[in-house]
Amino acid sequence: MRPLDETETTVVFEKLFKFVGNNLKKIVENPSDEGPESTPGSYCFRLQKNRVYYVSEALVKRATNISRKNLVSFGTCIGKYTHAGSFHLTIMSLNILAANAKHKVWLKPTSEMSFLYGNHVLKGGLGRITDSIVPGDGVVVFSMSDVPLGFGIAAKSTQDCRTLDPNGIVVLHQADIGEYLRGEDDL
Amino acid sequence: MGKSRRKQKVIPPPQLPPDVPEEDIEFSDEDLKYVEENTEYARFVSRLDTAAINKQCGGRVKTVEDKYEEERSKKKTIQEEKGNGEILVDPVDVLPVKTLDGKLHYRTESKKSKLAEAETNEAEKDVLDDDNILNKSQRREKAKKSKREAKKHEKDLPNDILLEEETPQAALLAEVKEELSAEETFENKKNKLAELGMLLLSDPEANIKSLKEMLDICKDENTKIVKLGFLSLLAVFKDIIPGYRIRLPTEKELEMKISKEVKKTRFYESTLLKAYKSYLQKLIIFEKLSVYNQIANRCLCTLLEAVPHFNYRDNLLIAVVRNISSPDEVVRRLCCSTIRSLFSNEGKHGGELTVQAVRLIADHVKAQNCQLHPNAIEVFMSIRFDEDIGKRDKEDEHNKKYKKNNKRKAQEEQNQVQENERKKSKQEMMSKIRDEVSADYRGVTYEPDAKERRKMQTETLSAVFETYFRILRNTMYTIGERTEENPTSNPGAFGSHPLLAPCLDGLAKFTQQLDLDYIGDLMNYLKKLASSSSVSNNTKQKNSKLLTVSERLRCCLVAFKVMRSNLNALNVDLQDFFVQLYNLILEYRPGRDSGVVLAESLKIMLCDDRHQDMQKAAAFVKRLATFALCFGCAESMSALVTLKTLLQKNVKCRNLLENDAGGGSVSGSIAKYQPYATDPNLSGALATVLWELSLLSKHYHPAISTMATTVSNMNTSQSQTFLSAVTPQQAFADFSLVKESFELKNESRKLNKRKRESLPEEAKNAPEIDMVKLSKKLKENFTILRDIKEDERERMELQSEKKKPLKKQNNVVKKKLKNPKSKKKI
Repeated sequence: MRPLDETETTVVFEKLFKFVGNNLKKIVENPSDEGPESTPGSYCFRLQKNRVYYVSEALVKRATNISRKNLVSFGTCIGKYTHAGSFHLTIMSLNILAANAKHKVWLKPTSEMSFLYGNHVLKGGLGRITDSIVPGDGVVVFSMSDVPLGFGIAAKSTQDCRTLDPNGIVVLHQADIGEYLRGEDDL
Repeated sequence: MGKSRRKQKVIPPPQLPPDVPEEDIEFSDEDLKYVEENTEYARFVSRLDTAAINKQCGGRVKTVEDKYEEERSKKKTIQEEKGNGEILVDPVDVLPVKTLDGKLHYRTESKKSKLAEAETNEAEKDVLDDDNILNKSQRREKAKKSKREAKKHEKDLPNDILLEEETPQAALLAEVKEELSAEETFENKKNKLAELGMLLLSDPEANIKSLKEMLDICKDENTKIVKLGFLSLLAVFKDIIPGYRIRLPTEKELEMKISKEVKKTRFYESTLLKAYKSYLQKLIIFEKLSVYNQIANRCLCTLLEAVPHFNYRDNLLIAVVRNISSPDEVVRRLCCSTIRSLFSNEGKHGGELTVQAVRLIADHVKAQNCQLHPNAIEVFMSIRFDEDIGKRDKEDEHNKKYKKNNKRKAQEEQNQVQENERKKSKQEMMSKIRDEVSADYRGVTYEPDAKERRKMQTETLSAVFETYFRILRNTMYTIGERTEENPTSNPGAFGSHPLLAPCLDGLAKFTQQLDLDYIGDLMNYLKKLASSSSVSNNTKQKNSKLLTVSERLRCCLVAFKVMRSNLNALNVDLQDFFVQLYNLILEYRPGRDSGVVLAESLKIMLCDDRHQDMQKAAAFVKRLATFALCFGCAESMSALVTLKTLLQKNVKCRNLLENDAGGGSVSGSIAKYQPYATDPNLSGALATVLWELSLLSKHYHPAISTMATTVSNMNTSQSQTFLSAVTPQQAFADFSLVKESFELKNESRKLNKRKRESLPEEAKNAPEIDMVKLSKKLKENFTILRDIKEDERERMELQSEKKKPLKKQNNVVKKKLKNPKSKKKI
């Protein structure tokens, strides 16, 4: 367990920034109520075995009691470094992203399952979409009843979506809550 | 004989020369015969003293009318004598000068009007230079004319100078005389104008020359006369201008031999055109003078409205558009209404003028840097865009194709059979002729074909949107400047962003016609405008260039309308605008900002949206409840109505109605409500309780208190309650202070039937007008107090009824007993 170094921090923050925009500040400055301390601490990012965790400071203090080898997980895992050295957000970060998301897409009930099996979001399945999405932005996918389902990268802008045919891809799949079942071992 | 006498009597006495009537008298044949047969009897006639008889007759028959007429004629003669006398004072000096073209110039007149004339001449020349639609022949003609006039002046000048040198005293005398008779001359001129006008109207072809005289009268130095002249000319022109455009004959045509009638009409048309032109020039010049501003503008506007097909309409249009944002309200109204009618009656000019007018206005806006009166842009609202033009055209094309196919088939057959060649050539001839005829027809008729109309419409549309976008950009620039530096530049005469409001209205109206490619830009602009002052809040500068709350609300509104009308299939969530609205609700102040706009935006942004996020809806519910506490009845009522619909749509948000704070499972990641959060999604409103409702249920206004109680009684388990039919706008309108005045008639319409029955009677019982204000107010207070108490009592009863349904009967009895008591109490 160690704090992120500078390059790692920028990589992680850039990834998060794609999804939450200026709300990144809120993620970083989010006060935590964990622990017995009277003054609320804040959250920080920690790296442990190629995974990046979003942890409250109180928990970090306590986690120091456990050796690196034995520490399996703590706090919220938000992503991991692949063997090639690039950083990927994982599905566990969905809660943080969904709370602060800038760009959202709502899926029709009929296409929810398709997305949860790991497919891209097609225009036909689009129930609702925030405006001013630019291709390349991070998008959080919700069901129509505001349950976060996953996230991805926008393939088309909101304006283009209108002229798109129903089978065109709007959001490229990155992670969905179906992974909790499909990829149980990896998580 | 008696007959002749009678006839003589009839004729008014003073104009009775002894010999004239004799000729006029008609004798019947019988009489003649009789006289011839009995010449003896008639002899006495020769001896008659006609004068004496006449005198007698006159004296005897004079009635009141005769007397009156006599007096008038006497006056007339006196006047004439006077008029003559004034000339007679010094016959040499005061003689009018006759110019080459037969105009009479009185000395004093010429002295003053000469200057004016010189001015007008110069101005005319200027106008000529500007006049770009003149063809060559017209220009040449003009040049000639101006030369002629110049010559005239040269001749006039020395004469006048000579005269002045010779007898200054006499001139002075004459002036005095003329001043004395100014009123009479005024009357005379007025009469003359009327006469000429009547002549022209009765037979324009014969009297077309008198147009010139009327124009001359307009050169008078007396403003009244000039105004009258303008107006009468306007009436004449409006009447005699033909329904077609006059095309002056070319030289080639002039050389050709023509019949008398054609010559006559040509002469008529050219004179009419010339007169019309000089009239317009005069109007355009005079329109700049403050004295004649209104009258000239009225003439211009009426002409443009009445004869938009006629020559020189472009000049008319330019003049009218120039005044579209005139500081004078009368003129501005006139111009605007004229242009509006131009837009709405396109049939008169085939739509060409619409394009021109819109272009001109666009240029005007550009030139004035968007500092115009809002009316100037509001006229765009009356443009109509017909979407069916293209369709019909396409159908035609389709038919044509079909026909062509038929032809091709036919041709193939013809190729096979060589005999038909002759037929073929004949057919070609026919089709050629048909084409020619149709082309000619098109040239003659003013109705442009669909393609052209479509083109014009596109042009109009592009000009309109160009203007709108220019205004938006301009507004943004001014805001940007303001935040960067602190400029001391003062806003224009019409406020800081005079054109923004009508521009936004127009955008909302024409959004259907907007190209999809531009929508992105438009949204960006609107977003920037809507969020414009959130930056300035930090710097806390007070500047008039800031957009007001209602303007920003309007921006949000327009964005929603644009999105709704264009991207209907795709449900786009305009998050940024929701954030703006969320913050704007707090910035709203009842006196300063327009509550109507707020109500409308509540309706469109919150009530009409099909789907809301839970967090956002909860945040809005909480904020609206807070808002309802702070302001007047109208605002809180509209807020409550919105709140109700939001709660009805979002079942989960009804957790806010529960008593335990924290929100339970639905309360997202934010555990605590943050009332000052700017983003509704991050406020964590689900963690709080709607305690405002319990305060509101004690609101002094009965309708609001009942509304609040119904909202707070909403059950979380109920999935669907009845949807209220009232919109926030309607609620606002019903409860706004202007209407309200506590008559309690329209308030409790749906909300409480019982009250509705009881209260209007009381209102009627109260004396309506005669009471002094004080007593009225007392009464109002009385009714309010009473309402509140009644309300509470009723509520108590209801609750008790719920608890003890078995004791209903008892309750009824109690109520009966209670009623008199409570009234006594009050």
